[in-house]
Amino acid sequence: MNLLDPNQGAKELLLGNEAIVRGALEAGVGFISCYPGTPSSEVPDTFFRLSPKGKYYFEYAPNEKVAMETAGAASLGGVPTLVTMKHVGVNVAADPLMTLAYIGTPGGLVILSADDPGCHSSQNEQDNRYYARLAGLPCFEPSNAQECKDMTRDAMELSARWEQPVLLRTTTRVNHLRGSVEFGEMKPARTKGEFRKNPGRFVPIPAVARVRHKVLTANMEKIRTEIEDSPWNRSWGEGTVGVIASGVSRSYLKDVLQSFPEIQVRVLELGIAHPFPEGTVRNFLSGLDKVIILEELEPILENDVRVLCQKNGLDLEVIGKGVELPLWDEYSTLCVEQALLKTLGLEIKKDPVPDPDIADLPGRPPNLCAGCSHRSVYVNVRKVFGDEAIYSSDIGCYTLGILPPLKAADFLLCMGSSISSGCGMSRVVDNPVVAFIGDSTFFHSGITGLINAVYNNYDIILVILDNRTTAMTGHQPHPGVDQSLYGLRPGNIEIEPLVRASGVEHIRKVKALNQKAVLEALEEFKDTSGVRVLIAEEPCPLYAKRVLGVKRSKIAVVKESGPASIECLSNLACPAFFLEGETVRINPDTCAGCMVCVQICDEIKPGSRS
Amino acid sequence: MKPLRVFFTGVGGQGTLTATKLLAETALEQNIQVNAGEIHGMAQRGGVVHSFVLLGGYLSPKISQGEADVILGFEPMETLRALSFLKKGGLVLSSEDPVPPISVATGKQTYPSLDYIRSETIKYSPDARFIPCIALARRTGVVQTANTVLMGAFFSMDLLPFGLEVLLDSIKKRLKPGLVDANLKAARLGARFVNNNN
Repeated sequence: MNLLDPNQGAKELLLGNEAIVRGALEAGVGFISCYPGTPSSEVPDTFFRLSPKGKYYFEYAPNEKVAMETAGAASLGGVPTLVTMKHVGVNVAADPLMTLAYIGTPGGLVILSADDPGCHSSQNEQDNRYYARLAGLPCFEPSNAQECKDMTRDAMELSARWEQPVLLRTTTRVNHLRGSVEFGEMKPARTKGEFRKNPGRFVPIPAVARVRHKVLTANMEKIRTEIEDSPWNRSWGEGTVGVIASGVSRSYLKDVLQSFPEIQVRVLELGIAHPFPEGTVRNFLSGLDKVIILEELEPILENDVRVLCQKNGLDLEVIGKGVELPLWDEYSTLCVEQALLKTLGLEIKKDPVPDPDIADLPGRPPNLCAGCSHRSVYVNVRKVFGDEAIYSSDIGCYTLGILPPLKAADFLLCMGSSISSGCGMSRVVDNPVVAFIGDSTFFHSGITGLINAVYNNYDIILVILDNRTTAMTGHQPHPGVDQSLYGLRPGNIEIEPLVRASGVEHIRKVKALNQKAVLEALEEFKDTSGVRVLIAEEPCPLYAKRVLGVKRSKIAVVKESGPASIECLSNLACPAFFLEGETVRINPDTCAGCMVCVQICDEIKPGSRS
Repeated sequence: MKPLRVFFTGVGGQGTLTATKLLAETALEQNIQVNAGEIHGMAQRGGVVHSFVLLGGYLSPKISQGEADVILGFEPMETLRALSFLKKGGLVLSSEDPVPPISVATGKQTYPSLDYIRSETIKYSPDARFIPCIALARRTGVVQTANTVLMGAFFSMDLLPFGLEVLLDSIKKRLKPGLVDANLKAARLGARFVNNNN
């Protein structure tokens, strides 16, 4: 497969996120920035992987705000631009986003917001279609791989034509589906533009902003007219019951209709539901008795339809959020089927299959990998601070330390919050507070919290779990990673001097797998006050193996399983350990050779991987 | 072809996503309409991984309860946990090699017996097959081919509009050269196992 194929015609199986890349390439994207985050990560990662051959400029930013500001200005300079992030990343980038909608984006700017209904890998399931309404952004919502490509291309073109930023709003299922995509022709990438100075437009002092707000409103009205006739908003089918569907719900609906031909409805698919295509919807509603609205999460279209009915004196039943169609989680063919059957008063006989009895099955929560250095640090933190300390956690693999026996997460807000919110906690309680943050998250938005900790004289211990990569989202580089690994600018920004420059006096840097060093540093910190920072460094074992090519020939072997091995197993919860009857064993295929257990337990010794 | 929904369940790190992609790409190459769905990220760290391949015209990227024609279980307890996704008359193909979750490994909970898992599974899928994927994979010299053993079994059971030979070609075409031989062997071993033990 060649995503950079300039010609049309190829047909490939693409991940939704790869299709977005192709769509942007077909529109001649010249500048891409991002902060990675599931489920958006494969978009920037694909651009990064292809960047030696691609004609565009790509970079990973330290956070979404920086990505939005960099990308926004690239589009001000006339270059077609894409910026990608997960839904909560848009919160970080919301400030520049709001202004960009006012001053406009001459080269075109598409913002990918990858939402996560069902919270597959996020702290909330906020519905970022609201951002389209809040900021004033046309919003595209693809439902399959082909649409991911075509809508990205169209969104970039619409953005450039109207000089307004456009939201490409996807959901986890769409980002991570695979479907066939037919390639279109690729426009040459435009990486150089021209900035036409116009402070009366681009500098939103109050006098300018007032005018620009009106321009934005007028532009959105014009775009509304344009999308009334868009092929992305189309109706089909027959009946007096209508269904208005958006996003991936359109696919669920089509599968239900295909499986049950007895369900007869008229369908309006809204691929671009903002600005709300009032004329199209009004025409669709005429002659209907009832309309079902299919949209995951918030009742945004439902409310738009209710307003439209009230304005136009339309008397029809609007069926939206309710038992079958909840405000939370993902939709499915099943819930769509139930909503349709109920509304139509149909019953379809199905052979019910009883649920298997799985209530007592052991759960399988995600766990830190074998060899993960976070486990090594957590074990020692627990040894020194136990249950007395309050653990302020952050976003990354290390959040997985939440479960027993590590129990290293007591509260968490968002990316970069552990230091600042740890400070807030420490001022109002008497317990010691230990904050954890990863390297990428520290660069993302931990630094200002650390400066505040010094500035406002807090008593807090910060452990920077530096595994030298952005581990959870797939090993993307960040400012602390030496870019020469990737054939880019050599050198990196070290964390220790940054911490020192923030005014921290108590700093210890240790090898995270070295039990003695970690323990000693923590014990020393326990007896001091002020801002204390432990930098525990060790490459993520998956990253070390896959990217750095590190091979660990040694593994840990239980020589004689006794009480100490049992205790080690209970304290570490390492996935390489298991009990066989009463005997502790270590799976040689799973052991990563970190040797933490060997340092803790006399009954476990180094052995060879044979 | 008759539309077919294939449900993959396993544990992060077992190669279920590789198998999902392999089936989806192979189907597209055989001119079968295909949609597949995966979940990436946090769950992959040793958690349960569900993925889906929908063949023959479905547009959805996932499978709901009671919809799967086939469940491919890469871990027996996860097979059991996923049975509600099987449709009446559907088929289960599963590995019989437990990957103990942390609560079991630390002795806090008990892993269900394989006999129990089999007897429950057979209630849903009388023709269910359990395959010693790890033992067969070891015979190839590369234990990580356990997922391919299961795929070999699946491709050889006449449920798909293409057979084992197509899988073998696909392995040759898509896998890194160094991994091809072991995976070819693994696929054949899986196929032989289900066909010799009817």
